[in-house]
Amino acid sequence: MALIELRDVTKTYRRDTIEIPVLDSVSLSVAEGDFLGLMGPSGSGKSTLLNLLAGIDRPTRGSIRVGDTETSSLSEHALAGWRARHIGFIFQLYNLIPVLTAFENVELPLLLTSLSRKQRRDHVMTALDIVGLGDRTKHYPRQLSGGQEQRVAIARAVVTDPTLLLADEPTGDLDAKSAAEVLLLLQRLNTEFKKTIVMVTHDPHAAERASHVVLLEKGTLVESEKLEVQS
Amino acid sequence: MGLIRNYNLRSMVVRKGTAAMTAMGIAMVVAVFVMTLAIAQGFQKTLVASGSRQNAIVLRKGATAENVSNVARSQLQLIESLPQVARGADGQPLASPELVVIISLPRISNNDPANVPVRGVGPRAFQVRESLKFVEGRPLTPGTREINVGRLAVGRFQGVTLGSDVRFASQIWKVVGIFTADDAAFESEVWGDVELMIPAFQRNSYQSVTVKLTDPSAFESFEATIAGDPRLDLRPQREIDFYAEQSRVMTTVIRVFGTFVTIILAVGAVFGAMNTMYAAVAYRTREIGTLRALGFSRVKIVVAFLVESVTLALVGGVVGCLLALPVHGLSTGTTNMTSFSEVAFKFRITPALLGAGLLFAALMGAAGGLLPAIGAARIPIARALREI
Amino acid sequence: MKLVGLILKSARRSKRRTALTVLSVAIAVFLFASLRAILDGFNAAAEASSSTRIVTIRSTSLIFSMPSSHVQTIRSIPGVRDLSWANWFGGIYKDPNNFFGQFAVDAESYLRLYPEVELPPDTRRAFLEDRTGAIVGDGLADRFGWHVADRIVLQVGIPVYGTEDFTFTIRGIYRSTGAAVDNQSMFFHWKYADERSLEKGMMGWFVSEISNPDQAAQVSTAIDQKFANTPYETKTDTEKQFQSSFVSMFGNLNLLLGSVGLAVVLTTLFVAGNTMAMSVRERTTEIAVMRTLGFQARTIFLLVAGEGLLMSVLGGVIGAGVAWAIVDARNFPVSGGFIPPFGVSARNAVIGVALSAMIGVLAGMVPATTASRLRIVDALRRVA
Repeated sequence: MALIELRDVTKTYRRDTIEIPVLDSVSLSVAEGDFLGLMGPSGSGKSTLLNLLAGIDRPTRGSIRVGDTETSSLSEHALAGWRARHIGFIFQLYNLIPVLTAFENVELPLLLTSLSRKQRRDHVMTALDIVGLGDRTKHYPRQLSGGQEQRVAIARAVVTDPTLLLADEPTGDLDAKSAAEVLLLLQRLNTEFKKTIVMVTHDPHAAERASHVVLLEKGTLVESEKLEVQS
Repeated sequence: MGLIRNYNLRSMVVRKGTAAMTAMGIAMVVAVFVMTLAIAQGFQKTLVASGSRQNAIVLRKGATAENVSNVARSQLQLIESLPQVARGADGQPLASPELVVIISLPRISNNDPANVPVRGVGPRAFQVRESLKFVEGRPLTPGTREINVGRLAVGRFQGVTLGSDVRFASQIWKVVGIFTADDAAFESEVWGDVELMIPAFQRNSYQSVTVKLTDPSAFESFEATIAGDPRLDLRPQREIDFYAEQSRVMTTVIRVFGTFVTIILAVGAVFGAMNTMYAAVAYRTREIGTLRALGFSRVKIVVAFLVESVTLALVGGVVGCLLALPVHGLSTGTTNMTSFSEVAFKFRITPALLGAGLLFAALMGAAGGLLPAIGAARIPIARALREI
Repeated sequence: MKLVGLILKSARRSKRRTALTVLSVAIAVFLFASLRAILDGFNAAAEASSSTRIVTIRSTSLIFSMPSSHVQTIRSIPGVRDLSWANWFGGIYKDPNNFFGQFAVDAESYLRLYPEVELPPDTRRAFLEDRTGAIVGDGLADRFGWHVADRIVLQVGIPVYGTEDFTFTIRGIYRSTGAAVDNQSMFFHWKYADERSLEKGMMGWFVSEISNPDQAAQVSTAIDQKFANTPYETKTDTEKQFQSSFVSMFGNLNLLLGSVGLAVVLTTLFVAGNTMAMSVRERTTEIAVMRTLGFQARTIFLLVAGEGLLMSVLGGVIGAGVAWAIVDARNFPVSGGFIPPFGVSARNAVIGVALSAMIGVLAGMVPATTASRLRIVDALRRVA
């Protein structure tokens, strides 16, 4: 059984009286341990798809299953708890809390668990070590470079050992060198730590790192067959 | 939730200017609140402090104040003979027949005439009222035109310092002693021998008799005995209750006024706090989206913002209390309309009042932060994440 | 003016913020106008005093009386054209909390001396002819629902009037045409009170009308000299001084209400200033763009200051308007009736609006200056 299953997922936005369709009957499965790239032109709905997977948005029609949970039928409150437990999200603009240090940013998701202070500390340091920033714990985001910020964000995303990592254009705002570092990190997370990753990108270099790629165009999957990517 | 606390506190400080102005708005309201209630508190304390639990004051039945009461000499003897009245070391009853009249003396502050109470007292008045202490001079000698003046009166009215000759009722009276009474209303009074006061003011009876009871619990039987005697159409009250009633109207007026002004002012400050919080939410929309994406529930977001606005308000509250504190102990005065006499009292700030001020600040913070906090939590996550 | 158009558009951008700021200022002005109204109410009687009336009381204090023999003596003083007298009755109408002024007066002369007491001629006659008759102010009649021909009973408050209740028949309801007399009082015949008094022929105070207002001080002194060193010494003052001393009995009201007013203004300055500063901060990009388009710094200054002024004045108009409409002593019955009637006059309303304009200008100074001094380069860089 696939880890993730989307069945006929449709998403339409309503602006005043106009309906804007973003996703149209998308069906997709993702196996555990997969590193899936989601590509497509601007406006194709790929970010929306990611949001739906993460549970931060709801499909207008259709169902989404992640692991044992039908996320499309959970209440808002239940979704929040589910997200904290199962999802690690990596944003294009990092989205670190500016008033918190790197350590505190990574610790944030752990506050939603019942771990003790010491346990939390251990998890945070482990995560920061994985991304290679164990020496920058007390720095604030404004004191870090873009690449470093994104790595802190990745540490934050993995610190709870989530079921699924979702990355929305993770290298979109980075220079080539930092981008390469980040992608290497993601690949390691997938191959070494067996993390299932779904990554939205329009960068072919980024797509190369994925194990499979699907293409979205105007809200539909262009090919139902996933492309095997030659690594 | 230590981290969330850090988050709130540090977020508040990011926009120092705005936070400071909002806090100052709240500080002003709390300062006004504390100061006006300190007036009521001071006035009430002064009056209530005049009463002792062990004393009872006897007035004519139906008299609402001393100056509309009368007690005949014959009635005094009957009262003094009652067993509930304590006796002094010399075996004499501790009772003081009294008469209060108003004389006009100019105020030191503005030269306007003030209604100064002159209290004719019996020879044992100072034993009946133990809280009185002499800070200058000595008690008056009964049978002479010597008078004693309360310390607050000396500071408020002209010409009543130690050794002064005061002219009233067409006679000269000499100040031989200044007393304190723990800020009680007596400190605004001039005391003389009641037997000289009565003819001097063309009266023919006492107005009241104040007695010290053998024990506070003796009051009920004291009251019952007097009620049962047809020769005495009098009504005794515990001194404390009497003075509480004397202060009731003025205290209520001051409190109502203070509360009214403060509440209206508070609404303005709350609007200010709301503005600030709405701006903070708008500024941090993407941050809020991130927190929610990470799994923080809507309730947690609301609580976080509420904590911020309440904390900010409490800072303002502390500043407001500090702003108000200097008035504690400041002397002022007003005329108690119930007795028509001028009472000097001090602004009185109590810990309870400060606590109320802080609570009030917290409430303002909560009121100002509630709607913005709820608004913050309701922004759809995807939309919040798209904000710049 | 295009500038005004821009200002209006910009205020509409954040309706909520504009509304909240306008309301804050409105509340502050409302409060300010109300406080002024209360202060004016206290001072009204003194302000409206007649320059030709002087009041004579016992020098010891107001609570002592003078004998009727004083009447002839005062009348004989040169400069005194007319004379009346009154006693404070201090009775109780059903409940001690139903406080109102009750005066036993020499009716005919009193009405002559106080033309502010307006009575239709037939009721005036009825009152003068009825020994136990009384006239009450229209405000007082409203308060208790009294009508002409009603009988009202007052319990004795001051023991000198004995123990039996006094019964009166309302013969007229008067209007007051001047603040020197309020419309919350009751007047009846001195003779009726004196009949039942345990001390006959005693009068509380005398009111004299003098022929020449400039002679007030001289005549007052002359009167007092007549009674100096007698058992019933007097103290005579102009009506204005007499009324003012009542106000000062309450304490330093000017200071109290003035301080509160100051606090109100300061609070509003903080709130309004804060709003404008926030508004400028949020629109740095917009302002920079306008500057790049060619708008001068001065124009930006006027835009920001103008918006601040507009919001404040709007709030001021609302606050003053509401205060003027609803603040009236009748709507706020204060315990005991001790506080004189007050209402927000047009003058106070205008002062309130002027205050809001001042607040708008002051609060807008710093934000407008900041906005006009913005370096385009800084502003276009995205705020972190």
